[in-house]
Amino acid sequence: MSKFKKDGKRSMPGVNTSSLPDIVFMLLFFFMVATTSKEVDPTVKIDQPSGSKAMDLTPYKQRSEVDFLYLGQPRNPARANAFKMGYALSLDNVVQPTPDGLYNTNAVGQWKKDKFDQKPARMTAPIEQVITCVKADKGAPSGLIFDIRKQLQDVNGLTIAYAVKDNGNI
Amino acid sequence: MAKREIPEINAGSMADIAFLLLIFFLVTTTMDKDQAYIRSIPKKIEVNTPPVDVEKRNILAIKANSQNQLMVRGVIFNDPDKISDFVLDFYETNANSAGQFVDNDFPLYSIVTASQIKENIDNILDEIDAMEAAGSPEEMITFKYNQLAEWEKKDRALKLYGGNQLPEIHFQANIRIEVMQATTYDIFAKIQTEIQEAVYEVRDKEAQRLWNTSYGVLKRKEANEADKSKVKDELAKIELLEIIYPARIIEVTPKN
Repeated sequence: MSKFKKDGKRSMPGVNTSSLPDIVFMLLFFFMVATTSKEVDPTVKIDQPSGSKAMDLTPYKQRSEVDFLYLGQPRNPARANAFKMGYALSLDNVVQPTPDGLYNTNAVGQWKKDKFDQKPARMTAPIEQVITCVKADKGAPSGLIFDIRKQLQDVNGLTIAYAVKDNGNI
Repeated sequence: MAKREIPEINAGSMADIAFLLLIFFLVTTTMDKDQAYIRSIPKKIEVNTPPVDVEKRNILAIKANSQNQLMVRGVIFNDPDKISDFVLDFYETNANSAGQFVDNDFPLYSIVTASQIKENIDNILDEIDAMEAAGSPEEMITFKYNQLAEWEKKDRALKLYGGNQLPEIHFQANIRIEVMQATTYDIFAKIQTEIQEAVYEVRDKEAQRLWNTSYGVLKRKEANEADKSKVKDELAKIELLEIIYPARIIEVTPKN
């Protein structure tokens, strides 16, 4: 008697997936635009301290114009005591093998100078204004920061930046 | 020959390809921004000059020892969030009594008048003329030009500020960070953060009072514009705020 009579077997219609690529491409483009590429995995372990609530810093736009220094504990803990105060400095992924090679000679100064000489011609900023960004671990002793600072001063690289973790606001 | 139908390309695996790309980008990129405090290192000088006497009231020394304990102006405490209060007091206590002597332990504010600025600019211009005529060494002349630039900055700032006098913190007022070799970077960065926040706050208050905008907005507009001639207004405002509340930070090299 029912008006809605089930007539025989009916197969489920297949879901149209032809627009799935479009959706995924949209996601892909969003991530391509909204993210920045991860920096080269530094050879030292770094857990940065967190930064300020207020944004009063001019974040540098071009990573390539900034020279990065990494100061942290070596990934291999057995090697930690080979370095001054247990912290190793990674200059372009080269961790200096001996503490002497790192701190007594002018490793940082030399590195900074070399970097500056190799800059492409379109970057015209004088060495005083080329930012050297120090990314250091929370526990790194400040004494080492000042060692780096001293060496930069010697080669006239007078702009330093102390990196901190982004606090997430704005 | 009969017309052959072009077979349709199977696009079913397009989604898979897109997914692969998407996952690749998810893995190799990161969302977090770089944030850093930019500081300048003083130029190395060969000549040993005797240290200049600075009045105690003009110094705000933030000290941290190897146990990460903090001391500001003789007060010992452990909570680093309190540092910004000291910095705020340092800037704000005498800010409203510019040009007067106040008997307390904070830096005084002086007043620069329009006529003073004009007089100084004229004097320096005369001196430059005289030096160029006498053939003085290049460095001396550049030094004078730098001085001239400073006064011209003040001139612009005063025009923007309105009235005919500009308050200005004592020229020796400075904040110094004194840490020890073993003080962790955590604390060092925290001190920098606190100073930055306090300076931001005083500048922001002034920006609100003068133009009803926030300092952060000015800064962001300026930073996001590649063509600096389009943001002259913002630049001038930032310049004025930096003259009234300069951030003179000295990082003292630790001895032990």
